[in-house]
Amino acid sequence: MRRLVACAALAAAVVLAAAPAGCGKKQERGTVITFWQFFEPGAIRPVLEKFEKEHPGVRVDMQQLTWADGRQKIIASVAAGGPPDLCELGSTWVAKFAADGAILDWTEDARALRDRFRMWDTAEYDSRVYGLPWVVGTRALFVNRDLFARAGIDSFPETWCELLDASEKVDDLGDGVYGFGLNSGERYVLYKKFMPFAWGNGGAVLSADMQHSVFDSQENLEALHFMTALRPSSLLEKQDVLDRAFIEGRVGMVLSGAWLLRTLAKEAPSLRYAVVLVPKPDAGGSHASFAGGEVLVSFRNSKHPKEAFELARFLVEPENAIAVARVVRSVQPAAVGAEDDPYYAEHPEDRVFVEQLRTSVSTPAHPRWSEIEDVVNEALEQAIHGTRKPEDALREGSRRIEALLATSS
Amino acid sequence: MAGRRATTGLFLSPWILTFAAFGIFPIVFSFVLSFLRYDPLNPAGASFIAFENYARALRDRTFWQSLGNTAFFTIGTIPVTTAGAFLLAVALDRRLPARSLFRAGFFVPSVVSMVVISLIWKNLYAPFGALNAALDAFGLPEVAWLQNPKTALPAIMLMDVWASTGYYMLLFLAGLQSIPRELYEASALDGAGTWARVRHVTVPLLMPVTLFVVVINTIRSLQVFIEVFVMTRGGPMNSTLTTVFYLYDIGFFKFEMGYASAIAYLLFLLILGFSVLEMRTMRRRA
Amino acid sequence: MSPALGGARREGREAHAARDGGRRGGLAHALLLVALVAILLVSLYPLFWMFALALRVPGEAGWRLGFEHFESVWKSGPFDRYFLNSIWVAAWVVGANALLASMVGYALARRRFPGKRALLLGVLATLMVPRQVTMIPVYLLFAKMRWIDTYAALIVPFAVDAFNVFLMSQYIQTIPEELEDAARVDGAGDFGVFFRVVLPLARPALAVVAINTFLTNWNSFLYPLILTNSEKMRTLPVGLALYAQGEHSVDWGPLMAGSSLATIPILIVFLIFQRNIIAGITQGALKG
Repeated sequence: MRRLVACAALAAAVVLAAAPAGCGKKQERGTVITFWQFFEPGAIRPVLEKFEKEHPGVRVDMQQLTWADGRQKIIASVAAGGPPDLCELGSTWVAKFAADGAILDWTEDARALRDRFRMWDTAEYDSRVYGLPWVVGTRALFVNRDLFARAGIDSFPETWCELLDASEKVDDLGDGVYGFGLNSGERYVLYKKFMPFAWGNGGAVLSADMQHSVFDSQENLEALHFMTALRPSSLLEKQDVLDRAFIEGRVGMVLSGAWLLRTLAKEAPSLRYAVVLVPKPDAGGSHASFAGGEVLVSFRNSKHPKEAFELARFLVEPENAIAVARVVRSVQPAAVGAEDDPYYAEHPEDRVFVEQLRTSVSTPAHPRWSEIEDVVNEALEQAIHGTRKPEDALREGSRRIEALLATSS
Repeated sequence: MAGRRATTGLFLSPWILTFAAFGIFPIVFSFVLSFLRYDPLNPAGASFIAFENYARALRDRTFWQSLGNTAFFTIGTIPVTTAGAFLLAVALDRRLPARSLFRAGFFVPSVVSMVVISLIWKNLYAPFGALNAALDAFGLPEVAWLQNPKTALPAIMLMDVWASTGYYMLLFLAGLQSIPRELYEASALDGAGTWARVRHVTVPLLMPVTLFVVVINTIRSLQVFIEVFVMTRGGPMNSTLTTVFYLYDIGFFKFEMGYASAIAYLLFLLILGFSVLEMRTMRRRA
Repeated sequence: MSPALGGARREGREAHAARDGGRRGGLAHALLLVALVAILLVSLYPLFWMFALALRVPGEAGWRLGFEHFESVWKSGPFDRYFLNSIWVAAWVVGANALLASMVGYALARRRFPGKRALLLGVLATLMVPRQVTMIPVYLLFAKMRWIDTYAALIVPFAVDAFNVFLMSQYIQTIPEELEDAARVDGAGDFGVFFRVVLPLARPALAVVAINTFLTNWNSFLYPLILTNSEKMRTLPVGLALYAQGEHSVDWGPLMAGSSLATIPILIVFLIFQRNIIAGITQGALKG
């Protein structure tokens, strides 16, 4: 008798432990759309509440992911058969998910929206559309005006020559001050800082049909030579350290994203800085930059795909996308005409980012992009750290990319 | 007697259940995975490829690099930590003012979360951080601790020594306190000085503890992960890429869980091998 | 080692050391003290620095001390939620271990059954397989059971820890069986004997189990990382590590405030229960 009581107590304890977070969901009335995304709740909730008001009987269960492990969570949920209804994916991930047949094809549904949005290539694979482009983030050049003034530089760099010159002059100021912030030691980031120069010079990683590597092109080599020329006057660090150094006024220039605007406003309101387009090559070329998009997708096994599409359409509307963008400041809407919103008139630095978007390039939509990215990063690091000559690094990298492409189905 | 059996079963059941679910099942399932090509985005498309994953690991340059880093880490930290812990224990094994303060102070780093420790040291190693400031004060050149491929791994190793020595010191202290003092007295009577006593009495009698320390330290070091996850994520240039981080990367960023499982099992064999080797060596010496 | 015997040994050694100290002279002793103090400072400096950065707030002219970072991280982290989760989970895991590990330890100590040795060796082997391997199957298992992002996922895998089982088993073996037999003669059943005779006597070991389990669980990182998705379920170490990630600049003040929050409970438990913690570790070492 006592044994039974003890067993029952144990069982009850286990069930109780699971109860607090487990129980509530099953008793919901109406439809519940699960939505996984990366923005902070403060930015996204108001928009979701607005959606719920306009769609009575529908509730959105939002879960915030972090960039550090969000992708794993999404993949694991797909593998376990319980993916969210609507999900935010990074643009570089879409191709692989699409190639594996994990996400829904929205080509037909999205036809009507075609003209109203930019950066469709971030949501496409193999000529089909697999998501809606929501917001885009790009990188621009932040300049410390005080350091420039001290170094006697009176204009902001527009070309590579001017950038190199300015970097050396600021670095010469000595005493713990660096000219340029050069990314290093961080995967998934370095190529975003190099490719702008490469793209600006007309270079690329893959050929237009994505069948071959053009990584060891002359244009890329020139861009790489330029970057290694910047090295002596640069601080080599990870992005977060470079940002921190810029905030503390120790670096003259750094390539960063719009999130830095927010941190600067909060922590260094008295720092005099400017934001300019990424400098272009001295002769010809363009002010290219990296564009990373966020795409809204739904999965093959999602429970409420129709409602998910409704929510996606709602979120990408200019006014709703801007509502999120204004709070986080690190992204801009992919909607055409968003830059005409009064918000951008009042915030000139944010507007530079929107300007930059016009000449920004996104990465090729290849399913094995993350592996190609790794090869690119490695080659760049070798050249920058001097363990390999730039030509050799690019050639070796190109060879490995060719090998990767060859083994893709 | 049958009643006894039943209650035995009942008493053991919590362990049997959790062991089966979280011990045996994952290990067996991972083992099976290591013979498959398994993409979590497409579980239905998994295919049996026999030893291909293992062969691939042996051909994989980055895998060998990660093994090299892990081995360097292990071989570099264990002697330092063990010797340091031993010396500290010997130093504390005497009448000393504020002895428990010292003991507590040396031990505290081991109870703090490795995530917290990694974050603090990330700050200390930052370009304008405390360590570089100290170097500056002495007129020495600053070091790009976590950015220079040559110093990144040693930097993490240094932090690890700081974090774990105190724990092993306690183990040695316990061992020291169990050595009967008659042995010391006898040795002193024979004319042996302090160091001779340490060499001939202390060290041999501490062999079991030393063995224990070295073995668990090895097992731990071969699985270094959190420090890399928080501080460097394998960079710069894979100089801090440890094998466990590499397999985490392969499993969750390249979605190749079959390959990741194979690497894990190779590492497991290594850990097993090291442990057995260490046990044999120390048994022979003692 | 019974307390009485250990005490006698300690006294003897101290007398021994005092005799020896006189011979070796004060200088060596003083140098040793200086060295130890230096090492102590090195041991404690990083933690001190963490608190310093957490309390250092930008002020009118440079820095001043303040709790602003703690406030901001508590609300916006949201470290108040993380803290709550850590405590809730730790409480359950400690309780479960205290009860269940002692049950299993009791069975191991007192009962013979076939396959006992094999079971023990098996457990030892499982401790050597890196968690990064087992986490994928565990995640998939929990996903199918719909336990992802629940407290159950954070508690159940850790409810019965092998080390605790060994500890309890070793200790119970030192409890004389006569006491149990006496209780049985009086008519108590197996559970009665366990709860009314064995557990109360095993209190010292239970204390060690409770404290060590608390320490390990509070700092647990990998499984909570993969088994939780949402902010409202994360524990402190996970919240902390993810707070610091990303391409964005690291704000050391709030980050160190969060780290302090994660560390202070540990320090408190450590300071209060020092002796038990150390006893638990050293017992483990001696049994090897």
